[in-house]
Amino acid sequence: MTEVVLAAVLGFLFAVGTFLVLRRDVVRVVWGVSIISQAANVYLITMSSLGGAAVPFVSAGGADAPATVDPLVQALVLTAIVIGFGTTAFALVLTYRTYEEHGTIDMLELADGTEEAETNGAVATDGGADE
Amino acid sequence: MSPPVAVIAPLLVVLFTAILTAVAHRSLRVQRALSVLGGVAYLGAVAYLFARVKAEGTLVYQLADWRAPYGVTIVADDLSVFMLAFGSFVGVAALAFAVVYVDEVGQRVSFHPLYHFMLVGVTGSFLTGDIFNLFVWFEVMLMSSYVLVVFYSGAEHTRAALQYVVLNLVGSALMLVAIGGLYATVGTLNMADMARRLADPAAFGITTLAPVLGLSVVLFVVFALKAGIVPFHWWVPAAYRAAPAPVSAALAGVVKKVGIYAIIRLYFTVFAPADLGELALPGFSGSGPLAYFGPVLLVMAIASILLGGVAAVNRDDIDDLLAYSSVGQVGFIVLPLALAAFGIVAGVDAPAPYGDVAGVSGLAVLGVTAALVYSLNHGLAKSALFLASGAIYDATGTSRLDRLGGLAERAPVLSGGFFVAAIGLVGIPPLIGFFGKFLVFDAAAVAGSELALGGALAGAILTITYVTRAWNRGFWGTPTEVVDATRTNRTQVAVVVVLAIAVVGVGVAFDPVLEAAIEGAAAALDTQGYVDAVNPDTTTSATSGGGHA
Repeated sequence: MTEVVLAAVLGFLFAVGTFLVLRRDVVRVVWGVSIISQAANVYLITMSSLGGAAVPFVSAGGADAPATVDPLVQALVLTAIVIGFGTTAFALVLTYRTYEEHGTIDMLELADGTEEAETNGAVATDGGADE
Repeated sequence: MSPPVAVIAPLLVVLFTAILTAVAHRSLRVQRALSVLGGVAYLGAVAYLFARVKAEGTLVYQLADWRAPYGVTIVADDLSVFMLAFGSFVGVAALAFAVVYVDEVGQRVSFHPLYHFMLVGVTGSFLTGDIFNLFVWFEVMLMSSYVLVVFYSGAEHTRAALQYVVLNLVGSALMLVAIGGLYATVGTLNMADMARRLADPAAFGITTLAPVLGLSVVLFVVFALKAGIVPFHWWVPAAYRAAPAPVSAALAGVVKKVGIYAIIRLYFTVFAPADLGELALPGFSGSGPLAYFGPVLLVMAIASILLGGVAAVNRDDIDDLLAYSSVGQVGFIVLPLALAAFGIVAGVDAPAPYGDVAGVSGLAVLGVTAALVYSLNHGLAKSALFLASGAIYDATGTSRLDRLGGLAERAPVLSGGFFVAAIGLVGIPPLIGFFGKFLVFDAAAVAGSELALGGALAGAILTITYVTRAWNRGFWGTPTEVVDATRTNRTQVAVVVVLAIAVVGVGVAFDPVLEAAIEGAAAALDTQGYVDAVNPDTTTSATSGGGHA
């Protein structure tokens, strides 16, 4: 039962994340990305034999160890969460900087900016030492 | 036995350099000196590791002395050190260029630590023997590259970085999903242990390998995204154009190769022995993941070659042209990998010296060798071209072909470097590019695949076309106004020339390079050798958890 519920929740989370990533508003896109990565973390947790399984390496003297949830994936998820913090913070700062540079965080307006710049032939191609 | 410290020496050196340069941000002079010295020490550590691996075979370092498969294993074999050797060379050359190219404020704020952290991620990815650890190194590399792409924080740069960041964050989530699924299916994260279990699932109580194909496809998408193979290439031009020239050089020359390395390591070493049963997919025949990935790689490679080549032909901006060209060139790297997959599935043999490697198909050795040599060629030539483009931009203030012209007259040495690297891409003997292309064609001929031959031929012609066009419009003719006032920076030109000399030198002294590449290919295909070297504990691991009971 737990697995069915979790599978449904995971499917919902991935769906919400994907929906948000496809929005025009950059902040929503960042939300979407962070929901997808959190969904991936929850998914990782469900990979740990929720019903309990043999302990990975308690062999000598631990023969009667009770069935436990695999702790390894929790270590993985902790790592992934920390990485997720950093990237989400960076993505939000980048969004703000994008707003400062363009005056908009609408994806379509950002894309229009590219076309205008290219037709004007004034694309700032590569920052040199003089920037 | 004392653990071979040589294995982690490159990682430690570059990590300490990154930290030291961050600490020394108060004095630009100290910071630069530390950064360059650290780069040189990094090269030395890689050279030492290379020599040790060539002398003693695969070296394994168990972190904190936790034995595989429980701890994180760092493995340096012939494949890893081949990638590491040219990656570190290109990386440090671009660093030397950056010291005189990136403005002082930028260098002081963050450039050096970020660049070295990116190298940390690259080095770790090449050396790790653990699939989750690979994810972590990818993140280290990516996080630094996010900031480096948006380094100048202008309008263009933020837009390109936004795309690059969002795309790679989704990619990272996918990678986690694939890794979690593999762990649940196979019950291990150690690559050697995984290869062992995939080859003989029944012995480890693994009931089904069916999910492995789907999970490996998800993982493949992530690697293809990193390598910029069509249809996952669209972030490439904007990101390369936005990043400072030395960063573009490192992204195209080194970071892309991490994706290629991961494909070779995981699909040819780890997943290859898995028996998934006859593929129940229309259009595919055979069993095993490579029976599936062979045709997929072939289609993606030819699409990359054609799309990248055609798009590069009508670009008006050198950086843009180079970015599309690198999409096309990655196709040339992936094409022989597809043929190698065919070789393994069908057991095709190849003439000596490729057929001499015992136990594997000769065509597979030839294909992976071709991919490695072409990676080396692309790493050297493309980074030289990106750096030359940066030097041109620095001197003239533009990289648009319609504003340039007659550079050969005003900046002959720089133009010479550009020319050599460009014909290196085209593949004129005796440059390394010739051997790269030759091996690709050789693999296609041995495989008897007209499709691959035709695609490679079309790609070669497109390469000649866009290189000639860039040369004619940018370098020949009468100097334009901006070019007339050109003042090139000597150090920048020197770095370009060093890379151009490497393009020539590696081609002239090709025998040892080919030997190293064949050894790398043999190591990539020798799953049993990899497993034996890492030696995941056999007595207790059979009961390890992780599988859905």
